[in-house]
Amino acid sequence: MQEVKDITIRLGAAAGDGIQSAGEILAKLLSRSGTYISTFNGNQSAIRGGHVWFHVHAGTHPVYSMGYGVDYLLPFTQLAYDEHYSSVNKGGTIIYDPSAVTARDLGADISQIKSPFLATALKYDKYPIMKNTVAVAEVAALIGLGFDVVEETITSQFAKKPEIAKKNVEAAKEGYGFGVQAGVRKALKYSDKRLPFLHANYTFSIGAVAAGCRFYAAYPMSPASPIVHWMTAHAKKLGITVFLGEDEISVMNATIGAAHAGARAMCATSGGGFALMQEAVGEAAMTETPVVVVNVMRTGPSTGLPTKTSQGDLNMMLGISQDDFPRAIFAPRNAPDAYDIAVRSFDIAERYQIPVMVLLDFQIADGGYMTIDHDFKPVDINRGKLLNSDGTDKELHNGTWFRRYQLTPDNISPRSLPGTPDMMYVAKTDEHDEWGHDLSDVLAGLKESVLMREKMQEKRMKKMEQLKAEMKAPELVGQTKADLTIVSWGSSANPVREAMEVMNSSGLKINALEFSDIYPLNTQAVVPLLKSAERLMIVEANYTSQFGGLLRKETGIDIKDALLKYNGEPIYPVEVERMVRNIMVKEVESHVH
Amino acid sequence: MSIKAYESDTRPDWCPGCGDFGVLAAVKDALATLNIPPHNVVISSGIGCSSNFPGFIRTYGFHGLHGRPIPVAIGMKDANPNLTVLVTAGDGDEYGIGFNHMIHAARRNDDIKVIVMNNEIYGLTTGQLSPTSRLKQVTKTSPSGSIIYPLNPLAALIGDGATFVARGFSGQPKHLSMLIQEAIKHRGFALVDVLSPCVTWYDIYDEVRKLMYKLEDKGHNPADFYAAMKAAKDEERLPLGIFYRDETKPSFQEMLKEQIGDGRWASKSVTPLNSETLRELEYEFS
Repeated sequence: MQEVKDITIRLGAAAGDGIQSAGEILAKLLSRSGTYISTFNGNQSAIRGGHVWFHVHAGTHPVYSMGYGVDYLLPFTQLAYDEHYSSVNKGGTIIYDPSAVTARDLGADISQIKSPFLATALKYDKYPIMKNTVAVAEVAALIGLGFDVVEETITSQFAKKPEIAKKNVEAAKEGYGFGVQAGVRKALKYSDKRLPFLHANYTFSIGAVAAGCRFYAAYPMSPASPIVHWMTAHAKKLGITVFLGEDEISVMNATIGAAHAGARAMCATSGGGFALMQEAVGEAAMTETPVVVVNVMRTGPSTGLPTKTSQGDLNMMLGISQDDFPRAIFAPRNAPDAYDIAVRSFDIAERYQIPVMVLLDFQIADGGYMTIDHDFKPVDINRGKLLNSDGTDKELHNGTWFRRYQLTPDNISPRSLPGTPDMMYVAKTDEHDEWGHDLSDVLAGLKESVLMREKMQEKRMKKMEQLKAEMKAPELVGQTKADLTIVSWGSSANPVREAMEVMNSSGLKINALEFSDIYPLNTQAVVPLLKSAERLMIVEANYTSQFGGLLRKETGIDIKDALLKYNGEPIYPVEVERMVRNIMVKEVESHVH
Repeated sequence: MSIKAYESDTRPDWCPGCGDFGVLAAVKDALATLNIPPHNVVISSGIGCSSNFPGFIRTYGFHGLHGRPIPVAIGMKDANPNLTVLVTAGDGDEYGIGFNHMIHAARRNDDIKVIVMNNEIYGLTTGQLSPTSRLKQVTKTSPSGSIIYPLNPLAALIGDGATFVARGFSGQPKHLSMLIQEAIKHRGFALVDVLSPCVTWYDIYDEVRKLMYKLEDKGHNPADFYAAMKAAKDEERLPLGIFYRDETKPSFQEMLKEQIGDGRWASKSVTPLNSETLRELEYEFS
């Protein structure tokens, strides 16, 4: 037995084989044994057939990404074997059922264990699905977990079906026995501490409700759908109103309507749905209605690759809808981050009365769970300039209308809610004056209206200056002085962190700047950080280095070395390391010449 | 409630003689008669002459995008069902670009009242074909006469499962007020189609007066689906009144109340979660 700091396990099968729930059981086993996990779901847009895989990275310390290679591979199909055997690390193990998979000669560095998953499963049930249980239990033994945690996890997984639970436990016992026979291989140090694990769609949902959001609108779209599933599942308990729109246009407009009526309101979709929402994002900004909109990114323009990951929608967020208007853009790095950013998003939306856009992506939101090792903190809600009193203030009332769009020193106007006596106003998506009168029709082009249009546009845009100052600087991770600083944003921070830890322990001096507050960029804080770096490199999942482009535009700093991945697969730590070593070697060579 | 309570500081910018004046008068009369205070009313509108409506009446309002007043209205009603939520828009907004929303709002039986000022033409964009323009109608976009069949919104909505479908005429504001009052009192979604002629681009006042008749004068039973469909398909003449009314179906908001509990409206529940609930939610996945 070898005690290690982290291990990686990968399961591969066809869609419909139950690999995701098998993977989740594995994740639970590890989370209930005091270890940190990070998972990835390599799924397809298919209900049956094809090839799907589930990857678990577990460690005795926080893990953020996929780790390095595969220590344990469980291929349930030949395709799964063929696709993944080359990722297995030296000293790794492949556990397979010879009735489904023919193994290759992989040399002595990789052990291959034959186990009769299917035959064992069929002893307990007429369907083959329990082969997953047999296999997972075998892996549990190989990584040195006790059978008690296996039994407890399976029993709780099928809590509502005790008969099925019993059969699974019996099958698991046999599988566990195969593992015991083979002997414990790489193992972690375990404890009985139980840690929760979630993906960013869930933590963002929890954060939203924690911040007072009780209105959610959606049209199902991968990989944003887990949010609507979470919201509907908790609607009754938490009192959440869910609007299931006929399209994303109605979704965004209903969100605006709910916010106008006083709810903290949110909607989510992926890029294609966001394209349909775009006119209404401008409407939210123009009417100064606070909303939170989430875009869980997937790969490709148009319908692209629905179940694959990308960070390709930043430019869309920056340029969405016509003309200039204030907006905030956030990109949480991972599941724990998403809770905090959800909380801040609702406050910022309401204090500045602007649309807040949040970018998640498949990798952290639908495709990957991560351990949360702290309790979520309750929220102090700040609703900004929301007035609850009636309109007795003469300055705020002209006898008919409430001065909803009052020009104020901080450019943020008082807001009233429908239902409040004597505070009536009409929210206007056409250009308007302080009282909500249209400037678009019979007043258009008149001197006074021209001046008012200027003032209104300035008022809205100047909100960004104040907001900019409260946007957070990127987090500096690692040592303060380094030979290379890797810039990342959103989810690309995770593989960078893992690669950095490995590289630094091998003697390199690398640190990282992780951005999650994207726009408006707090240039005052960002520029000195970038300038003080010895050398910069950027990592992101798109073709043109969209975030690099934003940094260049806002700071004048051009990061030339970029790891850009756009094939839909997650960024692996090893790819970051390869790029870094490539740069550093070149650096050394250029000093020599 | 006095009609004066709904008086805006802004004079409508509609052409003299525009049908929409009659609709404005009827809406004010209906709200005053039903004693609904102005601050409990929100009117959602889109883009077009008729969609300028909210600025001309003193209630809460949301003057939004073209075609989207219905989803905005639903969001408002879902978040605060104590509000009386009206949609006022034209045939372009509601029967063209936004018809999809109408079909689904009707299907859900969302408790919003949609008043469509139908003039069978696009007025503010200077007189082009609308979805209710008639075959052979000559407009800027059909100089040789339209070769596109018109939409029959009443038949479409009755067929779709709308629980209240009526038609009024802007030249008969008292009758129209009665229809709007019935719509507001109705349990769920209501469409009030209003023939509201455009004196500038397509003046059909005389034609409407000549062809119209009131369903209630003919002993029409609004609970009778097939009679309603038959009346809606009477395209030779112009029946006015309540075509169809079904009070047996609970509205979406009524059913929502049953599911999430009374008083837990999104606009009333902007409250944090305590640490116990947060911990419970977090540990669901462990």
